[in-house]
Amino acid sequence: MSLPCEQLDLLVIGAGPAGLCAAYEAAAVGCRVTIVDENDKAGGQLSKQIHRFFGSSHHGAGKRGIEIAEELFGDCLKLGVDVRLSSSVLGLFSNGEVMIDAPTQLCLVNPGAVIVATGASEKSLAFPGWTLPGVMGAGAAQTLINIHRILPGSRVLMVGSGNVGLIVSYQLLQAGAEVVGVVDTAGSISGYQVHAGRVRREGIPVYLGHRLLSARGSTGLEEVLVEAIEDGTVKRFEADVLCLAVGMSPLCDLAAMRDCRMVYEDALGGLVPWHGADMRTSQSPVYIAGDASGVEEASVAMEEGRIAGISAAEDLGSLNSGEAAERRAAIAKRLDELRAGPHSRGKLAAKERLYAR
Amino acid sequence: MQGKTGSESWQEVWDKSVNGPRALIDCWQEIPCDPCQEACAQGSIVLSSGICAPPALHAETCNGCGKCVAICPGMAIFLVDRSIGSGLARVTVPYEMRDEIRLGGEAWAVDGEGNYLAEGRITRVSGAGRPGRTMLLTIEVPEEWALKVRGVRGRRKLLEEPEEVEAIEAVEDFAFCRCEEIDYSRLREIITQGEFRSLPALRRFSRAGLGYCQGRFCQSILRSQFLADCPEEDREVESFRVRAPVRPVKLSRLGGEDG
Repeated sequence: MSLPCEQLDLLVIGAGPAGLCAAYEAAAVGCRVTIVDENDKAGGQLSKQIHRFFGSSHHGAGKRGIEIAEELFGDCLKLGVDVRLSSSVLGLFSNGEVMIDAPTQLCLVNPGAVIVATGASEKSLAFPGWTLPGVMGAGAAQTLINIHRILPGSRVLMVGSGNVGLIVSYQLLQAGAEVVGVVDTAGSISGYQVHAGRVRREGIPVYLGHRLLSARGSTGLEEVLVEAIEDGTVKRFEADVLCLAVGMSPLCDLAAMRDCRMVYEDALGGLVPWHGADMRTSQSPVYIAGDASGVEEASVAMEEGRIAGISAAEDLGSLNSGEAAERRAAIAKRLDELRAGPHSRGKLAAKERLYAR
Repeated sequence: MQGKTGSESWQEVWDKSVNGPRALIDCWQEIPCDPCQEACAQGSIVLSSGICAPPALHAETCNGCGKCVAICPGMAIFLVDRSIGSGLARVTVPYEMRDEIRLGGEAWAVDGEGNYLAEGRITRVSGAGRPGRTMLLTIEVPEEWALKVRGVRGRRKLLEEPEEVEAIEAVEDFAFCRCEEIDYSRLREIITQGEFRSLPALRRFSRAGLGYCQGRFCQSILRSQFLADCPEEDREVESFRVRAPVRPVKLSRLGGEDG
């Protein structure tokens, strides 16, 4: 089989917050940019975030994720970015070619630079009953309620008190489900206190220091057993949905396929492509941004995306190096602010270790 | 004049609220967030040292406009108004639930844990029926609860406590990799034998993650089980060899009649 190979300037893989911001920055200085995304809508995870965002006003804080997605997408369209949706990248080959499964056909492109902004995937847990219908990632439940408008069940138990677990618990409640509790092995809430506050004031109890024992049911989930770590007492929750919000791992298999050097950083979610503060990977001209470069917040993904876009534009000759460095420095300053809080300490340290390698 | 952060500002809010509504901010963690400061036209909310500083309120200049209540992503700002007197206070809370709460109707005021405080009349509803807007509900409660109210609920039923059960028997075995039919106990056996010290080797031998789903379900748990069971000094944390296609694709696409 031989396919014609289309020449492109900059290819951005993933139309989430990082990809859209990367495309915008590069297009703004005159690059010809193409974005591909496997979903039929741009925005990535922002498209299912119906809550208002944290961050600074610069990152659209106070706005809802869906609104931010629409704005970023609109900005890209205004600059003439070529956005190809429902298109999955199947491979990133060492000769520089990229194979895309587009709506009508398979195609090959050969871009001058590639930004990998593919996001992250949810981690799972193995325990008795984890294969029962009704056991799902919290992100999956969020996609069901906020994109497809389908309630996955009527009684939900959430595992994980990080921001994802707390936010999705609240949104399940908004969608009409009953949330019977949030369970976490940790002794304190892992997410922001204000998110926990929203959930608790709705009467949802948070069981800290508790671990999941098993999920049971015949044809689907019926009950979940949870153990108090300290005294071994076991609680039985009747539930038809068990949501797992136990972290994410960077989705960077495309970078690995392209032989980018991979580094393990637990705080960033697992293996990530090595990259500098300029978001260049060990393989030129491949760049990485957003959760694919280490799982953090959406506002961080946006800023990293902007940096990747600028670096790619520089290497494609659309920006001189002085100007590029200046723009990156301004963004780096905002990134430092975003990562200044105690919640980001581990991630910041991991990123700094990475940059220094 | 300096504002005060967290609960330190509440006494001042209590004092000043006899003159009308004042913002009560229940946000004291260092998180990167500043829309309240941006929203306050009075300049009464200030983040003193960068975006992670908790907001400080200057209760003297706060005019109780409620813009910060509506925009706070953490829904952590409220209004307290004691100007109506007769031992009553009006508390305004942000609201994004679907319960039918009507102006003039009765609802529950609840505290931060969702505990019932008082039943009260809803005296103001704003932003209702406008998609994307956060509703603001004002409820009238006895003055002593003014600083405690964190939510308003229709009389939704309260959750029953989960039942405590006898400790269960030892964990039965269960499927780890569904596609290749590998049980959890078998996988752990392979890891603890210690012959395979990298994930790719473990995967090749056990076949976990090499079936139909190509590891989409079990790759992350395979990694965490490997990290949990394989001694650190022995193992290599290396990447799997990734090959195209990384997403499922129809064979006809790769070599169909028109391929």
